[in-house]
Amino acid sequence: MSLKSSLAITAGKTSHWFLHNFMHGGTSLPGKLTLKIDPDVLQALAKDYEIAIITGTNGKTLTTALTVKVLEAKYGNVLTNKSGSNMKQGIVTAFLTAKTGKSGKKIAVLETDEANVPIICEYIKPKLFVLTNLFRDQMDRYGEIYTTYDKILKGVLMHPDALVLANGDAPIFNSKKLPNKVIYYGFENQTEKEQLAPANTDGLLCPSCQHILHFKYRSYSNLGKYFCPECGFKRPELTYKVTALTQQTPQSSSFKINDHPVQLHIGGTYNIYNALAAYAVGAQFDVAPETICQALSQNDEKVFGRQEVINLDGKEVTMILVKNPVGLDQVLEMIKTDDKPFSLAVLLNANYADGIDTSWIWDGNFENLPFDKIPSVLTGGERYKDITFRLRVAGVPEENFAQRESLKDVLAFIKQMPTEHIYVLATYTAVLQLRKLLADEGYIKGGMD
Amino acid sequence: MKYQLHLAHLYGDLLNTYGDIGNVLALEYYAKQMGVELTSEIISLDQLFDPKKFDIAFFGGGQDYEQVIVSKDIQHKKDDLITYIEDGGPMLAICGGYQLLGKYYIGAHGERIEGIHALDHYTKSQDNNRFIGDIVIKNEETGQTYHGFENHNGVTFLGEDERPLGKVVSGHGNNGEDQGEGAIYKNVYCSYFHGPILARNGELAKRILLTALKRKYPDADFSAQENLTIKPTY
Repeated sequence: MSLKSSLAITAGKTSHWFLHNFMHGGTSLPGKLTLKIDPDVLQALAKDYEIAIITGTNGKTLTTALTVKVLEAKYGNVLTNKSGSNMKQGIVTAFLTAKTGKSGKKIAVLETDEANVPIICEYIKPKLFVLTNLFRDQMDRYGEIYTTYDKILKGVLMHPDALVLANGDAPIFNSKKLPNKVIYYGFENQTEKEQLAPANTDGLLCPSCQHILHFKYRSYSNLGKYFCPECGFKRPELTYKVTALTQQTPQSSSFKINDHPVQLHIGGTYNIYNALAAYAVGAQFDVAPETICQALSQNDEKVFGRQEVINLDGKEVTMILVKNPVGLDQVLEMIKTDDKPFSLAVLLNANYADGIDTSWIWDGNFENLPFDKIPSVLTGGERYKDITFRLRVAGVPEENFAQRESLKDVLAFIKQMPTEHIYVLATYTAVLQLRKLLADEGYIKGGMD
Repeated sequence: MKYQLHLAHLYGDLLNTYGDIGNVLALEYYAKQMGVELTSEIISLDQLFDPKKFDIAFFGGGQDYEQVIVSKDIQHKKDDLITYIEDGGPMLAICGGYQLLGKYYIGAHGERIEGIHALDHYTKSQDNNRFIGDIVIKNEETGQTYHGFENHNGVTFLGEDERPLGKVVSGHGNNGEDQGEGAIYKNVYCSYFHGPILARNGELAKRILLTALKRKYPDADFSAQENLTIKPTY
C-alpha cells in the first residue's frame, strides 16, 4: 500500500472514530475526507475482498441486506455499506470501518447506485454483479432505462471475468451479448397463458426486432416469461427460480426457490425477487440451499425497515416508502391482499430526494384498489393537491375522502381512522418528516439514517 | 350517457413515460362530468389511424429508443393524421408527440429524426443541457394560466401558422429564447408539460372536449357543458 493510501486511510478512520463517538453519525464524511487525500484509496482498501455489487432500480437495499444475511450465515462478518449510502464516499466509509469475519474470508456486498457502477469499478475487482431490474425512476434525475443500463454495463465490461447474476424475467438484461458469464434468476411458478403486458408499461419492445413482446406469464410490469412472436427472442434459461408461490399477505410471502421452501417476513412480489437474488449470490458463494433458506426466513426487523409497522394507540399502521410507478403498483397489489378492512393515507412531497416531477403518480394503478371497501382515504404532504386529484380521478368516493396538507394534521387524522389496519404510503422526505413527528410523540425511537 | 367520444391514444404502449396516461384519465373524468362517455383505443405499431373513427387524439412522449421506432412507423400514418388535423380534429401532443408532429427533431446521438410535417415547427437539441423544473404559462387568448413541469433537451421553434400555447411566466418553454411554450395549430394543442397537463389544467381539458363535442354533434346545445366549473387541482 502506498504511503498516500495509508495516510488517507488513517485520516478517514480517525474522522469516523471522532464522528461516531462524539457526533453520533458519519456515513459519508470519512469517506469524503479519505478520497480527498487519496482519490485511488478504494483500490487499496478493497484489495483482498471478494466483492458482490448489487444494482438496479428497485430492490437494491433489501437484496443487499438479505445477501449479507445469507453470506454471514456461513462466513460471519460481511462488509456492506449502510442503507442508502450507495455513492462512492459511502462505500469508502464502509471499507474503512470493516471488521473481518470469523472465517477469515473477506467478503463485501455493496449496494451501488446505477450511475456509480462504472465509477466504483475503476477501483475494485468484483467477483459478481447482481442486476435486479430497471424501471423508470425519478426521471428528472436518472434518465431513461436504456442509458442507465449502458452506464451499468460500462462498469461490467471493465471486469469481463466477473459473473453477472441478472433478473432473467427482465427483457433488458438479455438485450446485449456480454463477454461475462451470465446466470439468470426468475419466476417459474405459473401456468402458461399467452398474454400482453398492460399498455402503460415501459420496456416492452423486443430488443432485436422492435416489436411488442408477448408473455407466457408475467409476475408484474414487464417481468416474466417473455417472448417475441416476430423473431423468436425469448427469456433465457433460468438457473435459480421461484418454483412455487404458496401464500402472500401484506406482511409475508411463502414460496419455494428451486423447490426449497422460504417464509419471507415481508410482503410483496417484488421482495420475492430480492430474496431470489440473495439466494443466487449465496449459491455462488457455496452456501448450502438449506442454510440460505433458513437465513431468508428469519424475521429480522433491521432488514425489513423500509416497510415499518407502528403501533399507534392500538392501531397497526404500516408505513411504506413509494418512489416510482412500478414500486407503487407493487405496494398497491400487496396491500390488497390484506384480509382485514383497512384505511389508506398517501403522502406526496416533491423535494429532490422524492423526485421533483410528480407526474409518476399517474402511472400507478390506483384504479385497482377496492375503494368501496376502504372506509377512509386521506391525502397529505406538500403536494397534496396533486395526489388528491389523482385519487379523485381513480374513484375515491368523496364521503370517505379527506385532505390534510401538514403532516401534523395528517397524524391527528390517522389516529381517528375507523379501521385497525392503516397503510401510509409516502415519498422519501414525507417518510422522514412523519417519522420525526412519530418520534417526537414517543411512538417510535429516533429518526431514520 | 347522451354523448360519446372516441379517443385514439397514439402509441400508448410505447410513448407513456411521464404519466401521460393521466391526460387520458383526466379527459375521461371531465367528460363524465359533462355527460359524455369517453372511450379510448391505442393505435400503435403496424396499425392504421382511421381519421373518421376518432373524435380526439392523444400523442404522448417517450424514451429516445421508443421514439425512434415510432418515428419510422408513424410515416405510414402520416397522411391520415394530416387529414384528421386539417379537418379540425382535436389533438393533444406532449413532448415527443409534439416533436414528431413537426418537421424533425435531433436525436440523442445528433441524428435528424423525421417528423410527419403536419405542423411547421422543428426541434434542435441542446448540448448537455435539459430544461427541467416547474413552469407556468399564460394563454393570451383566454387569459388562462397553465401549470406544469418541463423536462426536455429539445428546443422547438414554431412555424408561421402556429402560435404558442402560452407565454412563459416562469420556466423555459419551447426554446428558452422567445418566451413561447407549446403550440396551437387549428385544433391541435402541443406542449412540453408533464404534470400531466390536463390533470393540472382542467380548463384545457374542457376546451378540447368541447371542441370535439361541437365537431361531432354540430346541432346540439352544449351551453350546460360550457358552464361546467372546473375546480382548481393545483
